Order: sequence, then C-alpha cells, then structure tokens
Amino acid sequence: MNTKGIAGMTATTASALSPRQRYFRPNALWLAAPGLAFLAVFFLFPVLRLLALSVQNPASGAFSLESYARIANTDVYLQVLGITFKIAGNTAIFSILLGYPLAYWLAGLRDGLRERMVLLVMVPFWTSYLVKTFAWMVVLGRTGVINNMLTGSGLASQPFPLVYNEFGVMVGMVHAMIPLAVLTMMPIMIGIDRRLIQAAQALGAAPAQSFWLVYFKLSLPGVTAGGLLVFISSLGFFIVPALLGGRRETMLAQLIITQVQELLNWAFAGALAAMMLVAALVTCWLYDRLFGLSSLSGGETSAQNGGSGRLRLIGLAILRVIAKASAMLADVVRKVIGTRGAQLLLPIYCALALAFLVLPTLLVIPIGFTSSQFLEFPPPGYSMQWFETYFSSPVWLSATLRSFGVAAATALCATLIGGLAALALARSSTRWGGVIFATFLAPLIVPRIIIAVGLFYLFAQIGLVATDMGLVIGHTVLALPFAFVTITAILKNYDWRLDQAAAVLGANRVKTLFLVTVPLVKGGLVAAFLFAFITSFDELTIAIFVSGGIKTTLPKQMWDDMILQLNPTLAAVSVVVFVIVTVLLLLAERFRRTA
Amino acid sequence: MSDTTLKMNRRHLLKTAGGTALALGMPGLSGRAFAATTITVADPGGPFGPAFRKAFYDPFEKATGIKVVNVAREAEPTAQFKAIVETKSYTWDVCTLTLSARDILAKQNLLEPIGFTRDAAPGLMPEAITEHWMGTDVYSSVFAYRNDHFKNNAPKSWADFWNVEKFPGRRSLRKNPIDTLEQALLADGVNIDQLYPLDVDRAFKSLDKIKQHIAIWWTGGAQSTQILQSGEVDLTTGWNARLQAAIDGGAPATIVWDQGLYSIEGWAIPKGCPRADAAKQFIKFCSTADRQAVFTEALAYGPTNLDAYKSISPERARVLSTSPDNLKKMRVANEAWWSENRAAVTERFNSWLLS
Repeated sequence: MNTKGIAGMTATTASALSPRQRYFRPNALWLAAPGLAFLAVFFLFPVLRLLALSVQNPASGAFSLESYARIANTDVYLQVLGITFKIAGNTAIFSILLGYPLAYWLAGLRDGLRERMVLLVMVPFWTSYLVKTFAWMVVLGRTGVINNMLTGSGLASQPFPLVYNEFGVMVGMVHAMIPLAVLTMMPIMIGIDRRLIQAAQALGAAPAQSFWLVYFKLSLPGVTAGGLLVFISSLGFFIVPALLGGRRETMLAQLIITQVQELLNWAFAGALAAMMLVAALVTCWLYDRLFGLSSLSGGETSAQNGGSGRLRLIGLAILRVIAKASAMLADVVRKVIGTRGAQLLLPIYCALALAFLVLPTLLVIPIGFTSSQFLEFPPPGYSMQWFETYFSSPVWLSATLRSFGVAAATALCATLIGGLAALALARSSTRWGGVIFATFLAPLIVPRIIIAVGLFYLFAQIGLVATDMGLVIGHTVLALPFAFVTITAILKNYDWRLDQAAAVLGANRVKTLFLVTVPLVKGGLVAAFLFAFITSFDELTIAIFVSGGIKTTLPKQMWDDMILQLNPTLAAVSVVVFVIVTVLLLLAERFRRTA
Repeated sequence: MSDTTLKMNRRHLLKTAGGTALALGMPGLSGRAFAATTITVADPGGPFGPAFRKAFYDPFEKATGIKVVNVAREAEPTAQFKAIVETKSYTWDVCTLTLSARDILAKQNLLEPIGFTRDAAPGLMPEAITEHWMGTDVYSSVFAYRNDHFKNNAPKSWADFWNVEKFPGRRSLRKNPIDTLEQALLADGVNIDQLYPLDVDRAFKSLDKIKQHIAIWWTGGAQSTQILQSGEVDLTTGWNARLQAAIDGGAPATIVWDQGLYSIEGWAIPKGCPRADAAKQFIKFCSTADRQAVFTEALAYGPTNLDAYKSISPERARVLSTSPDNLKKMRVANEAWWSENRAAVTERFNSWLLS
C-alpha cells in the first residue's frame, strides 16, 4: 500500500459526501487564510511596491524599461546570475548527497540516541554564520589548521589552496546547509516503515535495489523538499562568497546590495531582484517537472496527471539506473572489504560528517578564551578577557536577550501560521495548491535586502520601526517558508485514515487535530519550530533596517562589531550562545522524557 | 470608522516620526518635550563607540546637558539614511558619512545644512567642511607588507607592488574599483597630481598585468586585517587603521604611505530632523582641536583639525593619516569623479573580474 493509494482513497471518501454535507463542512483551505493574509500585507505588498520601481525612470518616475535594457545589454549580470545558480545548485546537490546517509543513519537510531545525535547536527546552526565563516578562514587558510598539519607532517610540501576559490565557497555553504538538508529529510525517513525493505528483499530484491526502489522512493518527498530549501536559501548568500570566494565567486545578492546600499539605485536593484525572482521561479517549475515537487504541494497531481510527463519519466529512469549501478558497486565493495567492513561504512561516514559539522565550532570555543586580539588558532595564550567584555556590556547582554525573545516569538508564529497552511494544502484538493505553495516559498526567493527595505517603508508608516514587534513580523516572513515546507513534507507521509479512525471513534475535528495528528507529526513540528527559531536567531538584514541600530539583536551587534575589527568577543559570544542553547535543548529533552 | 483611522494615523505618526509632523507645525512644543534632551548619533561602531564617547559624547553632554545616545551604523548607511528621511522616522539625528555617501545623499537633497563654516574652526582642512557635512577623521588607502617575507628588499611604491618578479609574494587587492583603479594607474607611472580624471582604459590594462598574481580579493576591512595578521598574504592594500590594527596586535608588518590616497568621514544630519538644532551644536563641538586629539589616542585615524597635532605625541602622529609627514606623501581621493562614474566603472570592474 503506497501513499498514492491512500490519497486516492481519501479523495474518494471526500467526494462520496453529499453536496449538502460538503457545503456545510468548513473547507480546509481556509486554514491557509491567516498565512496568506500575513504574507500579502507584510511581504507581497512591500516587495511589489519596491519592485515597481524597476519599471520607473529614477528621475522622472515615468514608465521605463531602462533598467531591464541595461541588464540585457551588459553581459556581467547574466553571468553573475549563472554563477549564482551554479553555486546554489552545487550547494543543494552536495548538501543532499552528503546529508542523505547521515539522515538515513539518524532515522534508524533509537529515539533517545537519535535526539542526542541531532543535537550534534544542529551545532553549526547555533554558531552565527559570521563567526563560522571566519572560522573556515582559520581552518582552510594557507597558514591554517589543515595546511599546517599537512605541511608540518610532511604530507605536503606546499600548502593547498583551500580557500579564496570555489572550493572554499562550497565548503562554507555546504557546511551551513547540511543541517537544513538533514533535518528536512530525517522526519520523512523516520516515518518510513523499514519492514517494507525486508518485504522487498523477501520478494527477491537485492539490498541495493530494495533501497533505491522502495526506501529511497518513499524518502523522495524529503529529498525534494530539502533540495529545494537548500537551493533557494543558497541563492541569497552573500557573506560566504564574499569572504571565502575568489575573483569569480560573485553572487547576485552582492550586486543587489551594492545597488541598494552604495549606489542608491533602487530601480536597478529592483530589476536585478526581479530577474533573480523570475529565474528562480523557472527553476522551481523545471524542478517540479523533473522531480514531482507538486506532490508536495498537496494533491497527487504529478503522480496522476504529471505521471505521464516526459521529464518525470526521465527522473524515474535515472533512479533505476542509479539503483543498478549502486547494486553493482555494493557487490564490489563487499568483495573488497567483506560484509562486516561494509556494515561499518555508514557509521564511519556519519562520524566523519558529524566531525565536519562541529569542526568550526570546536575551533571557536578555544578562540573564545584566547589572550590574542585576533581569531587565531591555536590561541597563543588563554584569558577570560573576551568573556569579561561580553558580560560587562549591557549592549551585548540586551542584544542576546532580545535575540532569544524575538526568535521564540517568531518560531511560534511561523510554526502556527505555516502549520495551518500546510494542513490546508494537505486536506484540500484545489487547483490553487500550486499558487499557494509558491506564495509561501516566495520569501525565500526574494533577496532579503529587498524585503528589508520594503518592510522598512511599511513599518515606518504603521509605527513598527525600531520595535520588537517589527522584528518578529519581519523574521516571521523569512521563517514561514521553512516551517511551511517542513510541515508539508511530514503531512505528505501522514496516514489520514488515522484521522478518519479517530472521527469514527467519536473525536471531533479539534480533538483529532490535537490528540492524533499533532502528536504523530510532532517531529516535523519540532523541526519547523527550530528552523524558524534559527532563521530569526541568525538573521541580519532585516535587523539592520528594522532595528535602526536601537533594538539591536545579536547578529546585528556582531556585525557592527566586526565591520571594522574582528575580535574574539564574537567567539566568546558564540560560546555563551552555544552553552545556553545546549542546556535548553538538553533540559527540554529530559523534561519531555520524564513527562 | 474614518474617525478611528484618523486617530490611528496620528498616533502612528507621533510614534514613528518622533513627532516630526507636529514638530514642523509647533517647533516650540516638541523642542521642549523631546528634542533638546537627547540626540541619537550613528557612528561606525566597533572601536569608534568608546573612542568617540570619550572624545565627543561625554564632554558634549557635560557642556550642554544634551544627552548623546550612540548606535552603530552600517558601513554604507546611505539606504538607511534615505529611508529615514523619506519616511520621516528620525531614528538617527547625526550620522557619520564617507565622502561618497555624502555626495550621493546631498545630490538627492537628503541632508540638512550643518549651520557653520570654516571661519568657526580655522584649523580644519579645507576639504573637511561643506554646507551639509563636517569631516571628523581621515583614513588612507595604502598598502602594507610583511617584514618577515620582505626582509631586505621591501616594496616602496605601487610600481613595486605591481612588480611580481622583483618582489615575489602573495598579494591582495580590494574587490572594488574605488582606490584600486588609482593604484593601478600609479603603478603604471601616472603622476599622483594628474590622476583625475582617471584614464579607465589604462587602469584596466595595468590591472590585467597583475590579475593572475592576486591571491585574495578582500571585501571588508576586518578581512584585510585578518589576512595580513595571519600571513595569508605578504602584501595587501587596505585602510591604514585596519592595517595598523594587525601591526598593533603584533604582526610584523610595515605600512607604505607613499602615493597613498586619503578620504574623510564626517557628520551629517538627515534633512528635516526635528532635533537639528542640537545636532548642529554637536557637530560644531566635534570640530575643535582638543576634542579631536582625544580620539586619536584610541583610533589610528587622522584628525581633520590639524591644530590637534599640537597635543598629539610624535610617536602617535607617525601612524595618523594627517600628520604633516604622512599627509604630504598623499593626495585626497577625488569623490566628484567617482560620484559621476562609479556605477559604470563598478559594472566594468565586475565584468573584468569574471573575464
């Protein structure tokens, strides 16, 4: 019994209701209304108002396609668009490839152990990406940790160029994105009944084939969701390519920021943003054709109608080829290192992957205690001076408190609004599903600087500039896509017959939701909450504009501190944040277990 | 219904604009209630905060009773500045601007006059004061080399920086055409007094020669400190104070002031600011030599009031951009040329980087 069949059955039950019953039944689609209204006011309106500038002459305000003509006539913008898509695409591919085995391994662990391991996966999340990026410079540099080990041990005579090139950018970006990929895929994998693989093998499938054609296929909603989230969030990166990249690693967000902040040409910035938006939407459409993304956006449209789509057939064909190839590869590996060795491969790989994820943070901890003025590793000596700086500064402390408060409020709002919308799409078969899905993803695609400037104008009109409320609203706009996609993906695999069973046993809709649905999709809800929390906790651009420098958040305060001079206070702050978060998460876990 | 909307609007206006709309109509009222008591000053953040507090904010509070709250502004606050004026939400009353930001904002009519001239502060450098802006600190675009790499044979000019055979080593330039084009022209033999208008074609030809030898294109001031300090590169361009930070932290490096270009950062007031009077008073306060001498104790930036050197020690003066010895080796970067050409040249530079 596969999901298609289940969805087919629910569809039949729904259509079996009499017209009168259907009329009185509140349409589930209404659950998306709060989210759509929120996005219309705080995202679509401010952003469209700004994008409208792109078809105006900056001086006269008359209609003009000048900015677009400039893009078309200069090759640099299309070239940078190409580089941006290449970097984002590679980041998505590598994050999924490297993250999939890790997610698979995590999904197979028993609950308690898994939760502790997930904490390790989350470690990079809790280190500000400003600090992480500088940590990578320390690790990968010419005189950095890796090159020192290689040349010191005589393994290499020359230091390797590991950073200030495409490789450095990929390391920084993939490292930042693997947690997102893993945590999107894992809840889906936990939901897969592993006995299905045993069944396939009992029916004669080779292990590799039973994996690719059964398990992998069932995990695809997670893979597609994770790939898309990573790809689209990577499009907007600018700090990592700026600090770890070389001459050619320029991404579009950097050019847009230059236009907005340095050249003050918002018409042209709007045109560049519009170009990126269109390109991203076209990619999403292609992605949908190839991998059946709309299977996520509710309904089984692609399996039923799109199933005949040629591109989708190609997708399935690719899968079969991979299955065959890996079956052969697995045979070879087993012959070389034996069955026991083969069984150890996955845990060894996962240990290495986790080491990669925690490495920059492990470096940041000793740097927090350094006696040097710089981010050096190993520290030349130790002192508590940077912690003293932090704890004696009311600015740092209030920024920390505000960041935790704003992030918690954002996470609650985003999970609630996004969860309701995901439920709406999962429970109603509407042709508007695709549009609603795209609307909720849109804040990811639009560069943050555009959202930030647009929101600033709106907030100034309604009195939300330099307020905590303004920060929460702005961050909720950014966090919604993560919460929405994560919950959509988990609902995708949810067996709705359980709800029907609850209804048959006399539970009303609210009771069913809270006593049956919510507990069963809890993993997804927790992931959504954490994504939203982290999105807010590490957010800089909106904070820069909305805070006005007065209601400072932690990333904003770090940014202010590091524009001119990078000092180890940043590392000390990261250590403090890391300790607080770890303690909170451990307490939450303990509390939940005893409860 | 319309009644409530009106009330809402008024309340919001009051909140956001700090009473601007009312302040325009009733200046006396808002002056008493809010304006004269506190001003918000946006400085570059980081080490500037404490240094400016000691030199300017605290003494100003003591002298006038006007409280100064300082916040950190962005490296390029132009977008925020524009938004503040256009929405009349005056979160800042005074903000530091670079010359380029000043010109862009002045052109869009977003700056308030500062209300005094050089007559009031004759020690100021002539280029450090305009109708809308007063310079407070001078920074230079120079280069530094690692002493441990260039032991006996150190580069002394831009021509040396470009000479990869005679001065082998890993190099870094800024990923931005500003200053980089001038440096390329100086390396190619252009006289520093005849730099402007820049010969852009010649500059790119000169850059072509060194393109393959640039190990790192740095993008932020903190990064230039980091790569010089860690020895990632052997010579790099940068702003003198950022390079000095590496040297102060113990890095064996030397700054080359010859053929440097300097530029100025200074205070400006957003147009229509309801607390403009207090802001003007503050800016004038910052023009005095004794106040400016104080901030140079903590920051390696040059004062704009050259009389400040009367009370600055000779050792300290050596690392400051406007000390007589350093200033005579340098020229001011021509902001007028850049305001005119920046968009087109930036586009060409980005395209050149990718080719």
